[in-house]
Amino acid sequence: MARLVVEGLCKGWDFPVIDELSFEVEEGEFFVVVGPSGIGKTTLLRLIAGLETAQRGRILLGERDVTRLPPYRRRVAMTFESYALYPHLTVFENIASPLRARKLERGAIEERVKAVTKLLRIDHLLQRRPGEVSGGQKQRTALGRTLVADPEAFLLDEPISHLDAKIRHELRMQFHRLEDLRKVATVYVTHDYAEALSLGDRIGVMGNGGRLVQVGSARELFERPKALFVAEHLGQPTINVIHSNLVEEDGQLFARAEAGSFRLPLSEAQARRLKDARDGRIVVGLRPQHVRPADEAEPGGLEMEARIDIFEALGSSGIMITRAGGIQLTGLTHPERHFEPGQPVRLAIANEALHLFDANSGLSLLEEP
Amino acid sequence: MAASAQIAGSGAEAGASRRWRLVRSLFLVFLALWLLFTLFPLYFMAITAFKSAAETNLTVPTFWPQEWFPENFVGVFAEPTNFSALVDSFIIATGNTLLALLLGSLAGYAFARFPRQAGGENLAFWILSNRMFPPVAILVPMFFLFDNTPWGTDSHLSLIILYLVFNLPLATWLMMVFFRDVPRELEEAAYLDGWRPLRAFIKVTLPLVLPGMISVAMLCWIFAWNEYLFANLFVGTNVRTYTIVIPTFTHGSQTLWNLQMAFSLIAMIPPVVLFIVLRRYMVRGLSLGVVKG
Amino acid sequence: MSSEGHARIVRGDPSTYPDWFKARKSSKPLIVSRWVPIILVGLPVLVLLAIVIYPTIWMFYHSLRDTNITGLFTGNHASVGFENYGTVLGSERFHDSLWHLALYLFFGACLQVMVGTVLALILYEYVKSNLARAVVLVLLVLPMMLPPSIVGTLWRFLLTPSNGAINQALLNLGIIESHIEWFNAGISLWSIIIADIWNWTALPLLIVFSGRVSLPPAVYEAARVDGAGQWKVLRRITLPMLKEVIAIAFILRFTDAFKFVDLVYVMTSGGPAQSSELPTYIAFQRGIREFAIGEAAAYAIIIFAIAAIIVTLFLKYMKRVMKAQGLA
Repeated sequence: MARLVVEGLCKGWDFPVIDELSFEVEEGEFFVVVGPSGIGKTTLLRLIAGLETAQRGRILLGERDVTRLPPYRRRVAMTFESYALYPHLTVFENIASPLRARKLERGAIEERVKAVTKLLRIDHLLQRRPGEVSGGQKQRTALGRTLVADPEAFLLDEPISHLDAKIRHELRMQFHRLEDLRKVATVYVTHDYAEALSLGDRIGVMGNGGRLVQVGSARELFERPKALFVAEHLGQPTINVIHSNLVEEDGQLFARAEAGSFRLPLSEAQARRLKDARDGRIVVGLRPQHVRPADEAEPGGLEMEARIDIFEALGSSGIMITRAGGIQLTGLTHPERHFEPGQPVRLAIANEALHLFDANSGLSLLEEP
Repeated sequence: MAASAQIAGSGAEAGASRRWRLVRSLFLVFLALWLLFTLFPLYFMAITAFKSAAETNLTVPTFWPQEWFPENFVGVFAEPTNFSALVDSFIIATGNTLLALLLGSLAGYAFARFPRQAGGENLAFWILSNRMFPPVAILVPMFFLFDNTPWGTDSHLSLIILYLVFNLPLATWLMMVFFRDVPRELEEAAYLDGWRPLRAFIKVTLPLVLPGMISVAMLCWIFAWNEYLFANLFVGTNVRTYTIVIPTFTHGSQTLWNLQMAFSLIAMIPPVVLFIVLRRYMVRGLSLGVVKG
Repeated sequence: MSSEGHARIVRGDPSTYPDWFKARKSSKPLIVSRWVPIILVGLPVLVLLAIVIYPTIWMFYHSLRDTNITGLFTGNHASVGFENYGTVLGSERFHDSLWHLALYLFFGACLQVMVGTVLALILYEYVKSNLARAVVLVLLVLPMMLPPSIVGTLWRFLLTPSNGAINQALLNLGIIESHIEWFNAGISLWSIIIADIWNWTALPLLIVFSGRVSLPPAVYEAARVDGAGQWKVLRRITLPMLKEVIAIAFILRFTDAFKFVDLVYVMTSGGPAQSSELPTYIAFQRGIREFAIGEAAAYAIIIFAIAAIIVTLFLKYMKRVMKAQGLA
């Protein structure tokens, strides 16, 4: 049981991949690292595991500085994206491997393995080989191998990304329920944002610069994104991104879309923050949840005319893609509504819930960095 | 579907399938002819082994022994050192194979897991280039070298080491391919389980690479068993391989073909048996080694 | 434009790289899992190098000197520059042997690879029963199990002009009317080639067969569904996928053909009158029999150079072909 601290981690080959990355995971916390594929999430895990050597920085596990320790001495357990199950050994032997390495005696090994496999509902497969079980069962075997090892930290590398949707959901539920996981610091890596939001106590969003762009709870990331990158990736449907110029008219500050005539009035509070915006250019983020048909919203707010481009009825809500003032706006509707392409509609926009970002750096102008 | 095929097929399709059946027969005939070509010399070799010396040298050769002389197979051992030649060959082939396999596996593992440190693509060409050296290029310097060693040229050890010249690059190359086939992640998973590198290798990598090792061992063994030229020049008194014994079956100026054939047949047994028993590994090994290498 | 809120690292643009990256020591900190084993593994590599590098250096050295056998043991030899090379390249005996080699390579290596491939595919396509396949394969591979020296002995026996089995069989079948003088000048080379074909065709056969066995069946099923004819399947699917395998079989046979002198040594001793000499055999003769070691070394190097050039060219050609195909 220990706290995982990553400090200033640096790693690169032909080009830098991880650049001064730092974060902490409390004992028992489920920390999700999310980001697009290929960005270095697996590298990060491998660095913590000891399979790669950090070029700068430190990794602390509890009291120990494990930065210079080889993987077999770090006492972390990791699941691989490819499961890395030993094909010539049975499921039992695969799971028993960490216990055998520690030279536990036979009875204890059997007991532990049986307990874990029962928990994961693969106890009927103990004598099979990895080649003879399904993808979901392989994944659970790999998970069993890490659980049984009783490590000081769990590292899970996209454990369910290769499974089909139904099994993925089931296993996601299982992650919620596994208490053993909840006792130890866990770092879970995925490219699926929904998964991240669902599972993580705290989430770290990893960007191209080899760093965590933002770390926080799901709610924090969603409601107070620190960078456009974060706002863009979290939330379905994707946030409306409007590149705008600041114009002043009759003492009122507007954000006018560069691409059309669309403009949004900005409140005093928002205007105050924008003093730092250079050359009058900003990026406005508007969540589809805040774009509704006017007849569904409280009267008296900002309204404007638009035309429907595409309408999708998704059962839990309707998604309307509209054109207003020359730009495209995505909004949500009541599940039972129906619109035709080309149909005009009056939109209600909650412009007090705007996200404002700097046009050059992408940083939020409303949040502290 | 079948009906329309019959109606439409009476023209081109029937012709085509008839053509293919003809082609198929031709191919099988070709295969049969080649089998004949392959087996006839072996057949003649076998019956010659059972002939008397006189019958072997008849002006008109016979295709079936007039008299059967299975004693030939005993006669070849009249000279007792002939049997020890077979033993010597066995010692040398086995010794060399084990050495080539051991060194080749270590080197192959290095090349598979640390390609950058170990030379990468240059390796492939270097290994190939070993096969292009004429034997005399190796013979003379090595003879000179071994002459100055405690074990000398006429010993098991000299050939065991010498044969590494062609077996070690082969073993290294093939083992490298087989090791590449074992995903690195398996070893990494073992490290994370707590196994130290050597134990991880023994527990995970070795079992998976064993079939490949078997096919490599078989190939090396056969090449070493069948070697003639180097043996001819290096050994002869203390140690003899069966390949240099064969030409000794002469009576004055007359070649005792029947005895030579008999002895050859005996010597052919180990490689043939090995191949029959291990041919699956052979095919799998070659397809992995060649197709993916 | 960055959307992430800090100095963006752009791949391929070193000006955006941070300082620690520029100052990093090149992969030195390999301490993590293992560095001792690297040394351990490097050891056999050194052994390997020693066994092979030493003769190579030796050879290069002596090719530039006038060494003979006594000179070798007494250490008495002087440098003669490239004189040995000149002798070799200018000798008519060498030129003849090159022509013999060309014939040998074409009718030997090339033919063997072609026939081997054809046989492998026939065996795969038309012999479906596993038992039959196993039996035929073993039978076809038997000649390879014999050492070349014995193969040479066997064929010398079979091709004995006066009472050899081959001549007798051909007579009996009415194919010829009088004995073929298999070991006369002009024909002796062909006798060697026949023996070589008999001995080694099984190798490309085995390799191509193994390759064919390991081809993915999915492609063939798709072709069958598309209704592709057998010839098309062969040309468009099988052969392209086997290109690499065939190339390797070819290189193996080719390089072996350069080296093996067992057949020449046993069957004809290069005769009669040097009409069946191969370059490697001459090197052998000059070096081991006639003790002109310096010259033999020069022979060896020249032969190696020729082989290396041809193989390199072939590999480059193969690379281009594979690239054009996209390695598919």
